[in-house]
Amino acid sequence: MNLKDIIERLDLKVYSGNTDREVSGGYASDLLSDVIANAKPDNLWITLQTHMNIVAVANLKELSGIILINNREPEETTLSKAKEEDITILSTGMQCFELVGKLYEMGIHGNGE
Amino acid sequence: MYNKDTSKTQELTYELKVKDAMDTDYITVNSSTTMKSLRDILKKKRILGVPVLDDGILVGIISIEDYVKCMENGRLDDIVGNIMTKDVISIFEDEPLVNAVRNFEKYHFTRFPVLTREDNKLVGIVSKIDTIKGILKKLEDAYEMNKESNKFPTRCLINELIADGTCLELKYFVEGKNFEKAGNASTRLKKSLKKLGISSQITRRITISTYEAEINIVSYTDNGEITARVNSDDITVIISDNGPGIEDVKQAMTPGYSNAPGWVRELGFGAGMGLPNMKKFSDEMNVDTVVGKGTTIKLVFKINE
Amino acid sequence: MRLKEIKEALEAEVLTDNYDPEMEILLGCSSDLMSDILAFGKPDSVLLTSLNNIQAINTANVADIKVVCFVQSKIPNQTIIDLAIRDGITVFTTKLTMFVSCGKLYQIGLPGCSYLTFDDD
Repeated sequence: MNLKDIIERLDLKVYSGNTDREVSGGYASDLLSDVIANAKPDNLWITLQTHMNIVAVANLKELSGIILINNREPEETTLSKAKEEDITILSTGMQCFELVGKLYEMGIHGNGE
Repeated sequence: MYNKDTSKTQELTYELKVKDAMDTDYITVNSSTTMKSLRDILKKKRILGVPVLDDGILVGIISIEDYVKCMENGRLDDIVGNIMTKDVISIFEDEPLVNAVRNFEKYHFTRFPVLTREDNKLVGIVSKIDTIKGILKKLEDAYEMNKESNKFPTRCLINELIADGTCLELKYFVEGKNFEKAGNASTRLKKSLKKLGISSQITRRITISTYEAEINIVSYTDNGEITARVNSDDITVIISDNGPGIEDVKQAMTPGYSNAPGWVRELGFGAGMGLPNMKKFSDEMNVDTVVGKGTTIKLVFKINE
Repeated sequence: MRLKEIKEALEAEVLTDNYDPEMEILLGCSSDLMSDILAFGKPDSVLLTSLNNIQAINTANVADIKVVCFVQSKIPNQTIIDLAIRDGITVFTTKLTMFVSCGKLYQIGLPGCSYLTFDDD
């Protein structure tokens, strides 16, 4: 599924990065070590974390994007780093459970394994 | 700041069961009733629809709309069984009323048959109006109870003691950097508040705030102290430590702002919600902090509603 | 929704002896950050988390959450299970990831915690 469709259907706010990317699956976690260990390339990552390290993790794991939940905004340093490294950061007012529920309904059924 | 009225409503919608709000004085027809006699029943009782029961078992539901359609198609001699909606959406009597509210929204029906869970027997009808009435009645009862007793056991005792001021003080010591023991003070406080008869609403707000404060002590300092003072019309919780202090309180109050070290984040904390949560769940909050000396946070929870 | 339906959807294993299949669960919430649960969690909900430490139980306890399900095959140690039993909290574990767990529960009709919103949210 294309990230653009997801953004449109769930009315996500775009903070940075390229939105024309394929999404292979989804991964929800707030523990960076967990994402490093278990997320797959082109996964869409759902988290509450906003500090700069999320950009590094997304880059390392070649994720298709990060969705911040609960209306979280990326910190300034996070945003400038994301723009520099072309990491897609999005946000929504939904909580994790509901957002993932909707992504699941759209056909994203896991991390694509 | 916390809004108590809405929370009370929340608690009530959870507590109320469908059977508390359903109408048990309902009319039924059976599937061999003719559409003509159905009209007389609906007209006489001034109702818009009835459940269809055969030998006590719910087999369908029929409404005035079905009657109108029959009239248009000249099928008034037909029997209810051939016209009724067989796929009935019902609800069990012991489900929370909030489920009925959800079903009204989901299916756009205004009434549902209520069944017993054991043998699927029809025991009532729940309508939107009944639901609202049920909630109002419960609110009224709660209000009356409050007015009459206006107390919990401790407050009675505190009020009876002769002094210019009385309070009950509970003290807890918190060991810094020991994550295994973090939460020990807050959960013991919770138990004590329950024993004192403080409502679960207020207890929840107090222990959530105290728990956040306790986690801060454990994350940033070597040790600290939590004191809860139960007064006659409020509970005041004072959390103090001799830690590094907070450099910029305004920044620390911003949801999402955090300078927590990585180990705290990996343990599930340090997302910059500690102070905002304390503020959210308390009625008054005061932060007194000196960099290099320590922090004292005072939280007030009013109980005199 | 009955707790047994949740257990079934998550293909979960029960780790505490206080499991009540008929317990009514109204909402779902999921997070690895406990302050998030404290801020937005609601009583009578199920908490999905991969945070395998004692604070997951303490958080559920102070927030009046009755069921905690550890996702992605996380199995808490005996100290954590004993604490949960003492505090009347039921503990599940599932092999599913957080993402799939949320998706499956949402699909069978369990709403998120914002479903019931109040002024303090």
